[in-house]
Parts: sequence; C-alpha cells; structure tokens
Amino acid sequence: MEQKNILEIKDLHFSYNKGDEILKGLNFSLDDRTTAIIGQNGAGKTTFVKLLKGLLRPTCGSILFEGKDISTMTVAQLARHIGMVFQNPNDQIFKNRVLDEVMYGPLKIGMSETVAKEKSMAALELVGLSGFEDKNPYDLGLSSRKLVAIASIIAMDTKVIIFDEPTIAQDFYGKERIKSVIRKLRSEGVTVITIIHDMDFVADVFERVIVFAKGGVLLDGSAKDVFADEAILKEAYLEQPNVTKLCQNLGYEEVFLNTDEFVTYWRKKTG
Amino acid sequence: MKSISLYEEKGSLLNKLAPESKILYIIIALLLPVIMGSRWVSIGFIAVSFFLLLISKVLRKTVPILSISGFVLLTVVIIQGIFRAGNVTPVFAVGPVSFYKEGLMFAFEIVVNVLNILLSFCVLILTAKPSDIVENFVRKGFSPRFGYVFISVFQIVPQMTETMSTITDAQRSRGMETEGNLLVRIKAFGPLISPVVMSSLINTRERALALEVRGFNARNKKTFLNDEKKCGADKYIQLGMLAMLIAGIVWRVAGWR
Repeated sequence: MEQKNILEIKDLHFSYNKGDEILKGLNFSLDDRTTAIIGQNGAGKTTFVKLLKGLLRPTCGSILFEGKDISTMTVAQLARHIGMVFQNPNDQIFKNRVLDEVMYGPLKIGMSETVAKEKSMAALELVGLSGFEDKNPYDLGLSSRKLVAIASIIAMDTKVIIFDEPTIAQDFYGKERIKSVIRKLRSEGVTVITIIHDMDFVADVFERVIVFAKGGVLLDGSAKDVFADEAILKEAYLEQPNVTKLCQNLGYEEVFLNTDEFVTYWRKKTG
Repeated sequence: MKSISLYEEKGSLLNKLAPESKILYIIIALLLPVIMGSRWVSIGFIAVSFFLLLISKVLRKTVPILSISGFVLLTVVIIQGIFRAGNVTPVFAVGPVSFYKEGLMFAFEIVVNVLNILLSFCVLILTAKPSDIVENFVRKGFSPRFGYVFISVFQIVPQMTETMSTITDAQRSRGMETEGNLLVRIKAFGPLISPVVMSSLINTRERALALEVRGFNARNKKTFLNDEKKCGADKYIQLGMLAMLIAGIVWRVAGWR
C-alpha cells in the first residue's frame, strides 16, 4: 500500500553547541501510521520533536510538512498543523476552567468561538472528561490534568499530534484511555507520533517504531520487526515489551507484542 | 542546567583557598585605603586583584563586568570633568567643551574606588563556589536554615528559568505569539506567568516536604557532606592580612603623616 508522506525529514542536523552534534543527519518520512520514537535518554528524541514543532531550527537540512519547508513558518503558524502534548501538563495550564484551557489553543489558531467550543467539548469527551468543563484544572489529579492537556491539543484539530511521554503518571485506566484516544485519532487520519519509554504501551498501539541512538536512526520498521530484534534493542539500551520477552523465553518462534495477540494465537493453535 | 554562579573550578591556587581568606581580602582591600587615606593604596590593591585574577585564569570573566561598569564610569568622567562645581583649571578641550583638572581628579578617585571594589569582589566570586562560602559560614555558627536559603537561590533560579522556557515552548506550540511588539508581549504574559507561579508553588511544597523528610529541622548537631574548603596556607594568609590591617591602623594613628 502506498503511504502518503506527511512529514519528510531530509539530512537533518542539529547541535546546541558547535562541535557537539545532537542529531547527525536524519533521513526518513512520517506517514499516517502511528509512530513511536524510542531510545535512551540523550539519544536526541526530544530535540527531534522540538525541531518538528519549529521550537528549534535545524543547523543543516530540512523538514517538509506536506511538501512545504517548515522553516518558512513561525511556531504559531505551525501550531495549526502540528500539535504537541508536553510531558508535564503544569507547563501549559493557566486558565481556571477546564473548558477555557482547552479552548485557548483553538481560539489562538483562529477558530471561531462556536467551532472552538464544539471541538473542545468533543475533545473532552474523547479523553473522558465530559462533565468536568467548569472545574478548575488544578483541582483535578495529575493524570486528569494530563488528559486536559491532551484534549487541549486534540481540540486544535491538527494533522499531526506529538505526544511527549503520554503514559507518565498514568494508571491502568489512564493508559487505556490514552490508547483509545490514539486509536480514535488514527482512524480520523491524524498522524500520531510519540516519544516514550513505555515499551508495553508502544507494543499495544503503535504500528511503526523508530529507534534513535546517539543522534541517528538505529532501526526503523513495524513494531513487530523492531521488537523482534533483541540484539539491536540492547545496543540502544532498550528492552523488549514484557509479552515479547516472555514468549521468546518460552521458546516461541513468532513475535508477540501483547497478550491479545498471544491469546488469539494460542486459541487458534489449541482449537 | 545552566548555573547562575560565575564560579568556575580551574584548580588554581585561589580555588584551593578558604572563602574566608578571600572575604578577608575584600575587607582589607576596601578598608585599608580609607584608613590610610591614600588612593595609592587602592591602586595597589587593584594591581594585586588583577594579578590574583590573572594567576587564577579568570581574568577574561571580568571583561563583561568591567565593560558594563566601565560605561557608567565613563559617564562619570565626562560629567565630572566638564561640569563639576569648582572646576577652574582647564586641562584639554574637545571642540567647544573643555575638561577641568579638579573634576577629572575627582572622577579619577571614583573610578579607582569602584574598580577596587569590583575587582576585589571578583576575586571572591570568580574563585569560590557559593555553596562553599555558605557552608564555611555555617561551620562557623551561621544558621543552617538561612544558609540553605542562600544556597537554594543558586538552584532554584536556574530551575525556574528552565521551567519558564518549557512553558514558553508549550504555549507557543498552542499558537501563542511571544515575539513581536509590546502589546503581543503583554498579552503573552498571563499564559506564561501563571504556570510558572503554579509550578513554583507546587515545587516549594514538595521541596519543603523533601527537606523535612531528611531532617532539615532536626536539633542534632549537623555534619557536612563536603570537606571544609581550606588549605595550609590559609592560616598564614589570614594572619598576614590582619597584620597588614593593624599595621595600617597603627601607621595612621601614630600620625607619621
């Protein structure tokens, strides 16, 4: 199947200080598949997504969004197309009503009051916070606040959404919520990208996995292919998802990413 | 995290000395000229400070400090040189404006004093770690609670700057313009400052809890994680400087002048 490239990364270099290169020439494209970028701390993941958002500018190379170089757009203009949920919701929440907070972004990128409200209500419903519109975000727990932050980006109706460590401080219920949000976004044609350390979560919802190491791409492929490669993952100081590890140790040839996959396989096998 | 302290470990002689020796140096560098009533003493101390900074390899770091104050001093020289009351003896003229000896002498004295103050403080600030200074004070009986307040400034300020830049990024990502004319910047103020304040409040509470858990208010005698910063020469240096101070006082009181 031919994939439509939404973002194209061409020979992307970046360094904060001269001579100390963080990204050393990245070349790949991102399509509408859900993509997880994994790698050890300091591998350049955060720097990379900051470049995607235009918060940093490449020292060399370019990023094309739907064929257009993003360096021609300001961060605020880019915000219409690419949304990003930051790791810590406290970094963005400043209104004292959940609905106002969620509507801030949509209004800023030029939606009308009615549309912004409509989108915000829908986004809140999607993250399971319907009925919380009038609460003060700081009266909610950290995990709900994170969901508010997620809703505030979804409401902006962007083509691409980047999640920075979405599972931190989330319990089982929260994680399931975020999974269903990501699946829903995917079905609506939004490109979901995440940088994350939670491999089980990646195995559950992400189709494509890109492994970053020392400022370059070590491995890029479907979740199944990437997680099958224990040796390379080790090289990047990463672990396989628990189910994958277990099944491999039990001696199965196939690669299983999560319990459902294994259970289906097992049922079929045993009849 | 970027440090706001100007200190840098260079392994120099001055790095090894106890902070008290350097503080004592500041005291005598400022007191002796007053006691002895001669600007030559100040000039002497400026030379000594320069030498100390040079051998500590931190002379370059004084350039920004000196250039900012240099600008102010330049205005002092110009204003005093031209307009000081009691200006009678013209020295030179630039076009229609003439500079007078009395004003220039007065300005020169100000410049010497300011340079002396700046450079002697540089000797301390550029070669002693803030936490070492405070720790040595605490060892000498300064309240550890206030000591912590001083040290924590050096940790909290960079942390807040960092939070501030993350917040700016987060809000720009939501389409907020942060660059542009004054109005744009004023509008950006609310969305930027409220998360900073909120997270600082949250951080403060957590920090207080974390400190208390580790016995911050315990009444026992406290021990120190780091060794005291001092070396063998410190005692002699401090004694030497005290001797200089006393000699200066005696010289003035005895009225040899």
